Amino acid sequence: MGLIQRTIEAEGIPTISISLNRTITEKVKPPRALLVGFALGHPMGNPFDKEIQRQILIEGLRLLKEIREAGAIVEGENASFAG
Amino acid sequence: MSFKTRKDQILAKLFKRYPTLVQRWAKAHNFVVNANTPWAALTKELRACRVALVTTAGVHLHWQSAFDMKDKEGDPTFRQIPSNIDPNDLRITHNYYDHRDADRDINVVLPIKRLKELEAEGFIGEVSPRHFSFMGHILGRHLNTLVKQTGPEVARILKEDGADAVFLTPA
Repeated sequence: MGLIQRTIEAEGIPTISISLNRTITEKVKPPRALLVGFALGHPMGNPFDKEIQRQILIEGLRLLKEIREAGAIVEGENASFAG
Repeated sequence: MSFKTRKDQILAKLFKRYPTLVQRWAKAHNFVVNANTPWAALTKELRACRVALVTTAGVHLHWQSAFDMKDKEGDPTFRQIPSNIDPNDLRITHNYYDHRDADRDINVVLPIKRLKELEAEGFIGEVSPRHFSFMGHILGRHLNTLVKQTGPEVARILKEDGADAVFLTPA
């Protein structure tokens, strides 16, 4: 996914992605990433957990503005169990 | 169900259950390693931005062709998902992760409803007319197609749609 993100950013559109694994994200180096601590297949958390889904989406969108350094990986509020 | 499909699905369940296996795989797997990172600054305020979603979770409309799960190197094509569709029309074709939860609530991998709510609240300007979905797990010869062809094509369409920012989700 990081490769697609890099392609979109290179076209001039700012991007943010969810990372489920720091090791992978550090290799691929997308422009901005929000690390969450959920299992594979759950980038936005659990089904029907609207509050967490909303929180992650807002957190990610805010990082579009807040991250000033290319390649930054920010640990989100739900990152505690991330690899 | 083929032996390969069954094997992939068992592995996907193991990965979900044992995160340490994911970590071992991430360290050992030969990911594309990049030295530099492209950068585009967001100059608009979020409340004025048109936002699109892109996922690699293998999401598609049920009348669109499914992603090719037979090719061991994956499927580098993409599907366009109009933002005004009924989420019940979405399906997931992807045997390399456990998507039973995302099958029940697509917002687990593609937060299409949450984004509309943020538009209604005025947190973002508007939802872009189209979102895009790929299948992750792209290997070998298909990597080139993804980076040189289908990825740039999606970037071009996003520009055409006037997207100011993109939120991406893996599987």
